[in-house]
Amino acid sequence: MVTTFLGHQWKAFWRSRNKAGSIAAQVVLVLFMLYFLAIALALGIFMSKIIEETFPGSEVIAIFNGYILYYFLFDLGVRAQLQELPTLSIVPYLHLKIERKTIINFLNTRAIFNFFNLLPLIVMVPFSMTRVGAAYGPFAAIMYVVSIVALTFFNNFFVLYLKRKSINNIAYFMLILGLVGTFAALDYFHIISVREASNFVFAAIARQPFLGFLFVFAAVGIFIINSNYLRANLYTEELSTKDDKKVSTDYPFLNSFGKVGELAALELKLILRHKRSRGSIFMGFAFLAYGFIFYKSGPIQHDEFGKMLFAALFMTGITIISYGQFMFAWQSAHFDGLLVNKIDFKNFIKAKFLLFTISCTTITILASFYGFISYKLLLLHLAAYFYNIGFATVLVLYFATMNFKRLDITKKASFNFQGTGATQWILGFPFILIPIFIYIPFGIANKPYWGLLAIGTFGLISLLMRNFWINLLVKRFEKQRYKIAEGFRE
Amino acid sequence: MITIRDLKKSYAGRTVVNINNLNIRTGETIGLVGNNGAGKTTLFRMLLDLIRPDSGEVLSKDSNVAKNSGWKDYTASYLDEGFLIDYLTPEEYFIFIGSLQQMSPAHVNDYLRQYDEFFNGEILNRGKYIRDFSKGNQNKVGIAAALMQKPELLVLDEPFANLDPTTQIRLKTLIKSLKKSQRLTTLISSHDLNHVTDVCDRIILLEKGLVIKDFHTDENTLKELEAYFSE
Repeated sequence: MVTTFLGHQWKAFWRSRNKAGSIAAQVVLVLFMLYFLAIALALGIFMSKIIEETFPGSEVIAIFNGYILYYFLFDLGVRAQLQELPTLSIVPYLHLKIERKTIINFLNTRAIFNFFNLLPLIVMVPFSMTRVGAAYGPFAAIMYVVSIVALTFFNNFFVLYLKRKSINNIAYFMLILGLVGTFAALDYFHIISVREASNFVFAAIARQPFLGFLFVFAAVGIFIINSNYLRANLYTEELSTKDDKKVSTDYPFLNSFGKVGELAALELKLILRHKRSRGSIFMGFAFLAYGFIFYKSGPIQHDEFGKMLFAALFMTGITIISYGQFMFAWQSAHFDGLLVNKIDFKNFIKAKFLLFTISCTTITILASFYGFISYKLLLLHLAAYFYNIGFATVLVLYFATMNFKRLDITKKASFNFQGTGATQWILGFPFILIPIFIYIPFGIANKPYWGLLAIGTFGLISLLMRNFWINLLVKRFEKQRYKIAEGFRE
Repeated sequence: MITIRDLKKSYAGRTVVNINNLNIRTGETIGLVGNNGAGKTTLFRMLLDLIRPDSGEVLSKDSNVAKNSGWKDYTASYLDEGFLIDYLTPEEYFIFIGSLQQMSPAHVNDYLRQYDEFFNGEILNRGKYIRDFSKGNQNKVGIAAALMQKPELLVLDEPFANLDPTTQIRLKTLIKSLKKSQRLTTLISSHDLNHVTDVCDRIILLEKGLVIKDFHTDENTLKELEAYFSE
């Protein structure tokens, strides 16, 4: 029976309606996965070498031990964000003559086929088999592997259980992320060491391999809890939506912008009340950490802004690019309604500008903590900010008039390529290339600050031209609206 | 009120709407009937400027709906759930729609009170988003929001579908009384011949995009229509 289910799932995947259109997206997704798998494989094979190079002179196995629980802690955080529940697919089977146990078995089996379950095995099993086996004997090596598999299963079913208990509840996930963050911070500041704890646990397993069964017990425990919960709550409504009372809300701040503010408030509600839009906003906050990767002391000291421009543009403009790339399609479900009602298209476009400006300003202010690294970064951000609100907004909205793909906004955002078309792929090029081309001549002439000034001025001029842009976009929108509406009805 | 001239629309070589000349006078209640694929919804969409006709034009109060959006001032419509902003609560939705017609939230609440009976206590203050309502109740929200705009022209696509019997009867009474009190022009499409003949004073029968019959209702209309469709 379970194999029949899996067969149906397989068909559902290959016959899905938007399949043909999103093959390119699927290919990208597969490439992503292969990329991560390759990294994981390299990490797994060269683990002992890597540890010896990074921590010269220390005991390799102790370091490895220290990172096992650390890894699973982060794994938990990532899963909380990215792993999805395999639920809705069971609806057509619930009323048939199929035992509940079978359905639950299917759900559990299905959950094991997950990319996240493969990664830790590839990273950690080779090292366990070779180095640990050599040092402590084959039984210890096997128990290492057993423990790692058990921890993987534990995380897998623990996250699923939490997700089932708390569907639509963001607070839960902020809690998990907060917890992971706190542990990481405690470890970083040497208050409580996750690494020492982990080493302690696995050193014990190395000496007394039987202790590894404790992880197995934990995994089996959470598996049973999860299955019992499923058995008791196998009703579609309990699995898919949570019945908390919804309240009407009002944003007094936006009301001061009149009709435009009303439309902006409408869209803000859309963002906050859908999974996908919420996800892309959260991603925006996550990208605030981007600077730590790109802002190196070398380029900062030598005023090489060209190398950091990409990060600055992306960070301050993340809401514009991640939300704006699907513009108008967010409203695809009720686009007809917007067209027949007495909404001035000018106000409609203005509302988008208002939202972009507010969100971009907020993110830029938040990003100003990079000023602690160097005041130069603030100048860089300021230039990027003006470019983003002045010109990137126009760019995004212009591209939006060529986007005819309906967007399903009730699904999660990460690794979701539904509704992605050529527009989204092309959009990134002008967004990033225009400011870089503006900067290049100044960079070559070794006048970096003039380069920033040029980008900022470009943005500012474009900002002052906003009324002109609005008229242009409205004209374009009026011309394209039939096509957009038709595409969204599909 | 409405004049349609040489209106044509085809998809992939198949003609969906092909109407040479059609006039609708102020205060008429028009019933649009026809089997699936007759072009009813497409016609409504062109009337509401949601689809661009291949040729011809729709004039509302003598101005082309595709060129001038003045018709939005006096036209209200509900075709399908695509007209609802489904992540809002009904209250939020009514207030939003009201604000487009310069109605204050207090004004909207006041106005909605007369629909208490129509809503049957199932719409307001339920603590749900529109998307969580049943289809019938979503219909009610859409129809009430359309009526709230005090239109001179009302366009409803299959308003009786999914409604419970009580609400169907209430809706019919409502349309009849609005016709008397405000000279409301109404366009309704429906598969329910009983309702259509009951509430409409003129029936337009479409088939494959063509107007096959166009006549005023009398006591024989229902039989006539039944005879036509059972052929």
